[in-house]
Amino acid sequence: MKIIVCIKQVPDVTEVHLDPETNTMTREGVSAIMNPYDQHALEEAVRLREKLGGGEVTALTMGPPQAEGMLRDAVALGADRVVLVSDRAFAGSDTWATSYTLEHAINALGGADLILCGKQAIDGDTAQVGPGMAARLGIPFVTCVQKVREVDESRLVVERMMDDGYDVLAVKLPALLTVVKNINEPRVPSLKGKMKAKKVEIERLNAETIAAKADCIGLPGSPTQVAKVFAPEARGKRIELQGTLEEQLAQLAVKLVELARGQEVR
Amino acid sequence: MLILDKDLCISCGVCEESCPFGAVTMQDGYPVIGDTCTLCGTCVENCSAGALSLSVEKAEQGDLAEWSGVAVYCEYYRGELNPVSLELLGEGRRLADMRGVELNALLFGSRFSGELDEVAEKLIAHGADRVYVVVADALSTFREDLYCRVTVALLRRYKPEIVLAGATAIGRAFIPAVAVTMHAGLTADCTSLDLRESDGALLQTRPAFGGNIMATIVCENTRPQMSTVRPRVMKALDRDDTRAGEVIVLEAGELLPEEDGLDSRVEVLESVAGASGAVNIQEADVLVAGGRGLENAEGFELLAELAKLLDGKISASRAVVDAGWIPYPHQVGQTGKTVAPKIYIACGISGAVQHVAGMQSAETIIAINRDENASIFNIADYGIVGNLSEVLPMLIARVKELS
Repeated sequence: MKIIVCIKQVPDVTEVHLDPETNTMTREGVSAIMNPYDQHALEEAVRLREKLGGGEVTALTMGPPQAEGMLRDAVALGADRVVLVSDRAFAGSDTWATSYTLEHAINALGGADLILCGKQAIDGDTAQVGPGMAARLGIPFVTCVQKVREVDESRLVVERMMDDGYDVLAVKLPALLTVVKNINEPRVPSLKGKMKAKKVEIERLNAETIAAKADCIGLPGSPTQVAKVFAPEARGKRIELQGTLEEQLAQLAVKLVELARGQEVR
Repeated sequence: MLILDKDLCISCGVCEESCPFGAVTMQDGYPVIGDTCTLCGTCVENCSAGALSLSVEKAEQGDLAEWSGVAVYCEYYRGELNPVSLELLGEGRRLADMRGVELNALLFGSRFSGELDEVAEKLIAHGADRVYVVVADALSTFREDLYCRVTVALLRRYKPEIVLAGATAIGRAFIPAVAVTMHAGLTADCTSLDLRESDGALLQTRPAFGGNIMATIVCENTRPQMSTVRPRVMKALDRDDTRAGEVIVLEAGELLPEEDGLDSRVEVLESVAGASGAVNIQEADVLVAGGRGLENAEGFELLAELAKLLDGKISASRAVVDAGWIPYPHQVGQTGKTVAPKIYIACGISGAVQHVAGMQSAETIIAINRDENASIFNIADYGIVGNLSEVLPMLIARVKELS
């Protein structure tokens, strides 16, 4: 089975803040990491290859040349091939243009039986690129997969996490899945994997080699535009409770019951 | 692309400092843009000299004026209407009235009788002018590909200018595929919507970077303008049964006349609601959340007791989910769920940014932690410093007295 895993390098968002006074983003020492959900997608791809006793796992990323380090990490974690699709013309892509670009990259790689993605990237949190790619490729897709129950060369049985439970679905291949984090526990890279990662040749694609149309990529190909960026409203100041712990809890209990009921306690 | 006017540049370096992606470096007094540039426009906004600008050439998508009205996808699943649907009708009504257009509800089900009929009436009573009910046996279960195809067919036929859906498991699953197929812009997880005065474009505001930044998105040149909206953010209108509206029932087969129009390559084998650990914490008014400070899985028993008294549910930080103390559906935060309850009681949660990202829109936040310096206190409306094993039984006893 040919599996392509789409991974993204993201800034460690915990370090990104907007200074409410100057309205500028601070990025002191913001490090780049492999999107956490994508780590689970990659792990699942490697496990499926191991389960099936063969096949090929390709990790594909769209991003700047700096993403190469992450691709090497992907090899250390079990990917057989790594592909970087990179072009200045992709700058400013929203999810529409990104799904277009990745679809073209996947086709340039000869397609796949199974495409795995993380549920969403933690910088944008949109969860749109996976379903968008599937729609473009014209293949079935299942989002928020929490378990792959069965796999063979023609179909998968998976569990899709829902808001209040889960569904069990049979999906014919080729198909695309997005995964949530309880699907597996990603492995740590092996020494052998790390050695392989050092030597691996990173395959490169660009706008021309994937035959992308200029008006479908980057900012021109993106229907959404950022009109404004601003700092979130600060929360009000903390209300200090007075007295001993017991007295504080008595006040808090009244407040809690009032808020929960939406009316005053006598 | 990003354009620099060297004559205007004052070499202040603000662009370099403000770039969230580290793409700008000052060389010989002028900014040089690197490969990590995403054309986000932050530097342009911060450039006081007006030396930076973005040039955009957009492909026009036909006549935008052909598109009119607001459509809300109303999620009806396992025999229940998701409350977010009514919230969206409330907001959709406001937008439709501002635009002077109609508000239409989209509802899918297996057949139009009894239950679905009542749901359609309810949607009208909550603000819809018209309800398009699409029926087919194949629509009784949720499948991404099929729901996408039906929605696309509806949108192509009725051409609404704005499409809203809940940012739920279902909405977030198939709406992105609809947007791509429609060649439309889609903004995920909006927390506020408005119309731009100049041209009536939909202003879609959402948190980004884990809630550290808010961004307002517009889709100027494409229609429909699509948003998924977070549950519990918008206000539903009160039910008003005197409101008039029209129900239009459509056979899905008529919308998708091709022979394989209703085929799906996905088969639902089983649908498990309320399985062990399955809980929709996003719908709860009160959440009692536990973190590492609970010390062990048994700690959740006390939280459950408090939650029960307040008619709430239990949620958790990532640390304790990863430790296996409680299942993943309870996790709040960046790699869990985003919640906005009336009351969020954080017990033994330090307040890591990843957790805060998922709960900072709660109306009232109460923090209980033995570490008075825990960062959770920075966002709390009420704080109690103390040991959970001591504080929780006392608090529970007090709440019981009041019940």
